[in-house]
Amino acid sequence: MHNDQNRMFWILRAAPHLLLLAAILAAWEGAVATGLITTIMIPRPSAIGGAIVELYVTKGTIYEHFFITLTEAVVGFGIGAAVAIALAVSSSLSENFGRYVSPYAVVLNVTPGIALTPIIIAWFGYGMGSKIALAAVICFFPIFVNTLTGLRQTDEDREELFRSFGASQRQVFMQLRVPAALPLMFAGLKIGLTTALIGAVVAEFAQATAGVGVLMSRFSFSLNMASSLATLLSMTLIGLLLFYTMEFLDDRIVFWRREARMAAVSRARARAWKSGAAH
Amino acid sequence: MAKPVENSTASAQAKTVIEGRDVGKTFGGGAVIALEGANFTVAEGSFVSLVGPSGCGKSTLLRLIAGLIDRTSGSLTVHGRDITGPHTDVGMMFQRATLLEWRTAIENVLLPIEIQRSVTSADKARAAELLAMVGLKDFAFSFPSQLSGGMQQRVALARLLQTGADILLMDEPFGALDEFTRERLNLELMRIVSEVGATTLFVTHNILEAIFLADEVMVMTPRPGRLARMVHVPFARPRTPELTLTPEFNALVAEVRDILGTH
Amino acid sequence: MTDNVKATSQPKTGQMVIHFTIFLALILSWELGAQMGWLDKLFFPAPSAILTSFWRIYVSQGNIWFHLYISLGLVFAGFTAGSILGVGLGAVVGMNATVRRFLQPYVIVLEATPRIAVAPLLIAALGFGATSKIAIIMLVCFFAPFINTLSGVINVDRDRFELMRSLGASKIQVLRKLVLPEAVPVIMAGERLALTSALSGVLVAEFIQRDQGIGTLILTYTRNLNMASAFACIFTLTLIGFLIFKGMERLDHRIAYWKNEAGLRRVGAKRARAWAAEQGGLARA
Ligand SMILES: Nc1ncnc2c1ncn2[C@@H]1O[C@H](COP(=O)(O)OP(=O)(O)O)[C@@H](O)[C@H]1O
Ligand SMILES: [Mg+2]
Repeated sequence: MHNDQNRMFWILRAAPHLLLLAAILAAWEGAVATGLITTIMIPRPSAIGGAIVELYVTKGTIYEHFFITLTEAVVGFGIGAAVAIALAVSSSLSENFGRYVSPYAVVLNVTPGIALTPIIIAWFGYGMGSKIALAAVICFFPIFVNTLTGLRQTDEDREELFRSFGASQRQVFMQLRVPAALPLMFAGLKIGLTTALIGAVVAEFAQATAGVGVLMSRFSFSLNMASSLATLLSMTLIGLLLFYTMEFLDDRIVFWRREARMAAVSRARARAWKSGAAH
Repeated sequence: MAKPVENSTASAQAKTVIEGRDVGKTFGGGAVIALEGANFTVAEGSFVSLVGPSGCGKSTLLRLIAGLIDRTSGSLTVHGRDITGPHTDVGMMFQRATLLEWRTAIENVLLPIEIQRSVTSADKARAAELLAMVGLKDFAFSFPSQLSGGMQQRVALARLLQTGADILLMDEPFGALDEFTRERLNLELMRIVSEVGATTLFVTHNILEAIFLADEVMVMTPRPGRLARMVHVPFARPRTPELTLTPEFNALVAEVRDILGTH
Repeated sequence: MTDNVKATSQPKTGQMVIHFTIFLALILSWELGAQMGWLDKLFFPAPSAILTSFWRIYVSQGNIWFHLYISLGLVFAGFTAGSILGVGLGAVVGMNATVRRFLQPYVIVLEATPRIAVAPLLIAALGFGATSKIAIIMLVCFFAPFINTLSGVINVDRDRFELMRSLGASKIQVLRKLVLPEAVPVIMAGERLALTSALSGVLVAEFIQRDQGIGTLILTYTRNLNMASAFACIFTLTLIGFLIFKGMERLDHRIAYWKNEAGLRRVGAKRARAWAAEQGGLARA
């Protein structure tokens, strides 16, 4: 019954939003039907709905492209993030390394990574390789800079405390610096993931045979706006999927930043402690 | 509750645990003189307050004793041993609780042990006991951000005691707390310190607090940081807040004010 | 964010020498690799070839100027329109809780969508030419200033807000005297992101339209396997990006002068002079 109440609450909260959405869609549909809007730019909501049903249900064309783009973005992100974190960790451990690497990081930052699209396609070909490469290149910087900033935050008092306990450099790094850097690092990873998706899609626009970017250009240039918008929805879905995956990891790993998670972890640790004490 | 301290601290036979001779510290290659010519001894089990305005070298003196920074002149010993670097005879506490926000209270208390060796069940029992001692029995598995400022400082105090150090260095530990919380914690600190029998160096801005807590007050003056005088506090323990209303107490306050004002 | 990558203090001469040596070693080994045929010259042009291309596209042939002019003009137009729209809407939405509540789901969805992905759609709908390009740039520029202004307005300091209300300030006065100034640093951060996105936006628009502009130039050079010239264009963009970065940083320091020491001193002195002049004027009058 508690759940029922909860559900009621959500329905009540969502109702005005849904009503507004329905009103907008109805007005839009009406405007197109009565000839108030005539541009090809704005297809009817019903046409978009039809295109969605066709792409996602009856024909299911979207899925192949969806997974290709998703894979490109995720693999590219993985590579970019691994390199970024490795370089950030090295830079924070060695002042010299950081000093002599930073100008190149700055150059990479101020260059619009998108500009490399044609060249990366020439290097890596028309397949998925070039999309992965572009995704990796453009997601690198936000992750690098956030991780490095996080690792370089120093809290004098806490470092002194660790030293007064006789902690080694390694212990200070692993037990103090790394956990303290995690919130910022995750912020960087979230930005990077969004950027990686942009990289994959733009590379698909430029030259590709598969992926939602390809589908999108194809529909757009045959002036099939309804299907084009239906394809755009798939990009939103990929974006949401990636974002919420990262959000979930953030929630699990950096639990001490969230009230609810913190309470759950606190209970779990109390239980673990008690069962440990019982043995 | 509080048992009177049996080692009446000012007694002449008490052992010296910290001894400084002409201790000096400069920063920036001599540009900033943080501390100059400090001579002092601290008797075992005594409670010593350090008062003085900001920048007179109180924190510097504590960090020198902890071996976190090196002195530039003089000699400084703890238990008769020369201080050459960080050592575990002392434990520290700061104005900020400096807890690790990703660890529960009890995990924070266990941190000093974890740094040195693997944690045993005896350590865990001790940590639980210390949390109970500082009044946080029911908050062992709370995270720092779930605790109030005063409770966070209690955790920091338990962590300080968990180090097993017999010298407690406390740098304005309750300075950021509200008046009521601070008074309560001061009383509890006195009880706990006498219970564990530790030697305590306690930095504060507050003259009343300094005298109320201490056996000896080190009065420091700035530019350059100097130890102006040691003022002995003769009042018996346990002490209650009413002590601060007595003429004897206020005469001592006036004396310290005078030293700070006339230098 | 990026400030932390830069060295905070003035680099020492010894370090500069090492920086220079590393740079030289990189360039020389790249050149050597290209000359010895270890790197495929078709794909990895030698630094000397890139330098030659620079000379060609800027001086002897001079063809880059036109494309730069076109692209930067579009960036300027799209950025100005998009960011003004973003800040304006952000302020309105931020001040009105009801609008905010109904807009929020759409903002979340829009935030997850790669905005640049709408480029083909806009081109198809608005046709080839400057209009659709500017629309794309506006779209990618709009979001960061919008979100940042919005969050700046929402997160206005409660105590100061109440102070303003207690002084009898109107909604507009609160916005002008408290909310916007307080949000300026956050808004500027949004503008920085927006300007960077604008540069990416124009490139994507030009990659798709393939008519003119620096993006088209890069694409054409790459297609013709004239990689050296393509690289010269990209390094040009690096320079532009750097100038934008520095320019925005300076602008930020000027506008949010109370956030930096030099700004405080500059404005403080100026106001003291103005005050003194006014007082002097009054005394004489
Ligand atoms: N790491 C440091 N570098 C330079 N000067 C310092 C440093 N630490 C402290 N000082 C200077 O030494 C003096 C004493 O500082 P401190 O011991 O922190 O004073 P207190 O704790 O009594 O307020 C101050 O003038 C301070 O600026
Ligand atoms: Mg201090």
